Amino acid sequence: MIVDEDQVLIKKTLQGEKKAFEELMRKYEKRIFSFVIRMVRNEEVAIDLTQDFFIKIFTVLDKYNFEFKFSTWAYRICYNLVIDHIRKNQSQVNSLDDDSISSKEMLSSENVIRHDGFNNLSQEETRLYIWQMVENIPTKFRELILLRYVQELKYEEIAEITELPVGTIKNRIFKAKEILKKEMEKDGLPA
Amino acid sequence: MACLPDHKILAYLDDEITSIEQSLIRDHLLICPGCRQKADRYAQLHKILAQPVNSEPPAWLVPQIMKRIYAETPHYTAIAALIAASFIFFVTWIYIYFDFSSSSLIQALRLTSDSTASWLVNIIKTISVIYTFVQAAFKASHAFLSMLLNTLPGTTLVIAFVLTFSGLLLFATKRWLLKKAGAVKK
Repeated sequence: MIVDEDQVLIKKTLQGEKKAFEELMRKYEKRIFSFVIRMVRNEEVAIDLTQDFFIKIFTVLDKYNFEFKFSTWAYRICYNLVIDHIRKNQSQVNSLDDDSISSKEMLSSENVIRHDGFNNLSQEETRLYIWQMVENIPTKFRELILLRYVQELKYEEIAEITELPVGTIKNRIFKAKEILKKEMEKDGLPA
Repeated sequence: MACLPDHKILAYLDDEITSIEQSLIRDHLLICPGCRQKADRYAQLHKILAQPVNSEPPAWLVPQIMKRIYAETPHYTAIAALIAASFIFFVTWIYIYFDFSSSSLIQALRLTSDSTASWLVNIIKTISVIYTFVQAAFKASHAFLSMLLNTLPGTTLVIAFVLTFSGLLLFATKRWLLKKAGAVKK
């Protein structure tokens, strides 16, 4: 069995080394926080959920199976925590469960903060704008875009985390990209 | 070759098609400006998504989680200190209750102090003095309490004191717990 850097830190944490767990948190805090904040769209809630996530990880660390990749196991816990929170939050349930929502409805003028003069946007501004649009697509698409591009996971890993078939994941990511591309065209973003 | 559907372009950009399909799509993109424009758009989107805008968590987040995690973990030194304190309290109580200061063992030790190491004698003498003092304080407070409890105003005073002291202790504990929770929440 090959032991990677994360697993060394886990072993040290389990032996009581505080610094090892701190190092593990430092390694993942940015990516976890970025994922959580884009999912819940509220900084205070994201901070609370990130804290809850790391505390949960710490409490169940002795149950971690060293045969599997730590990141996949951790992201799965994070994903479940966030989805549970969204499901409990009535206002977000609609977008999570609505499969029939059209591209136009997904990015209605109420949902997306719009600016004028896109043709004059710099590359950096375009990047920020696209990522802002990502935050406004329905949860079922957003979660997959975030897992794929923020967490940099493979389709197979995303399937393991979300318990969705790889085909569904690819299809949803494709639809999400289609929506984003349409928006780019509509708003005249530079190619 | 007919114009390419979007999913084919995306599969091409993601390298998820066979090499034959890849060359066919590449050839089509060279001759079809419409599909090429679409592919350029998706390529740009792909590039943007591959460079996510990461949100910075607050700098205090990790230290706070560490504080919360390790405060909740049982502290073995604290437990050992508690056991030691309980033991000392128990020994003191037995010493006072059974009046061991006049016991034959202590008396024998005092009489043989010349043959015992001076540092040990000094320790025993110091402990003996402290115990004698505590015993005196205990007996005095016991007598004072008995006197108070024999009268109604005295009993009321004792009850009032116990209630006030318990209330203050409860208030202090609650305040400490709230302060601890306050350090966790923003």
